[in-house]
Amino acid sequence: MSTERSSGNIIRYTKIATIIALVLVVTGDVFGYIITEYISRVWAERSDTFAIVTLSVVYYLGTVGAIVVFINLYRLLNNMSKDIVFDVRNTKLMTIIGITCIFMGIDCVAGTVAWFGTIYMAVVCFFMMLVVFCVKAVFEKAIEMKEELELTI
Amino acid sequence: MIVINLDVMMAKRKMSSGELAQRIGITQANLSILKNQKAKAVRLETLDAICRNLDCQPGDILEYREE
Repeated sequence: MSTERSSGNIIRYTKIATIIALVLVVTGDVFGYIITEYISRVWAERSDTFAIVTLSVVYYLGTVGAIVVFINLYRLLNNMSKDIVFDVRNTKLMTIIGITCIFMGIDCVAGTVAWFGTIYMAVVCFFMMLVVFCVKAVFEKAIEMKEELELTI
Repeated sequence: MIVINLDVMMAKRKMSSGELAQRIGITQANLSILKNQKAKAVRLETLDAICRNLDCQPGDILEYREE
């Protein structure tokens, strides 16, 4: 199997995985009130209104962030499948994903007032943000090199 | 900055852009990038072909100017 075909398949599978993840998040949004109540009562072992409401707000804000991340990830993969790889449009999408990761991290940190367990999600979000910004920096360098190569006569 | 005086040499040799591009084996669009100072680098191979076809030295085409 050629490298081009293999990377094309990886992009296709990642697009499918992104769509599945997006559907799961939307489903999670629909049943959010049940999930947050479960998290609050079983995981956080708190049944007071403050904990349930706080975790609900954190949960819904988090899912909004996840939807933004998945939509932009899908757009990024879509560009890549059209052979638009080292392009400013992709770095802009990465910026949106990275900033959304920061907001999701802050959201999870805020959730610790109700349940300390959300701090682990915050760590994951901040780590994801670092990875995304590193990839973005690599793409920016590649764009610069591509422009230089294109203007070498 | 480095200025490419290709227009001057082409005028001296009475050679059109199309003809020079064809002779040195690059597209007219790329020759235009060179003439309009948009190029970031010039291959020695291209410079060699320009000098051969315009019968000149690299110094006749490339010039250093204070910015």
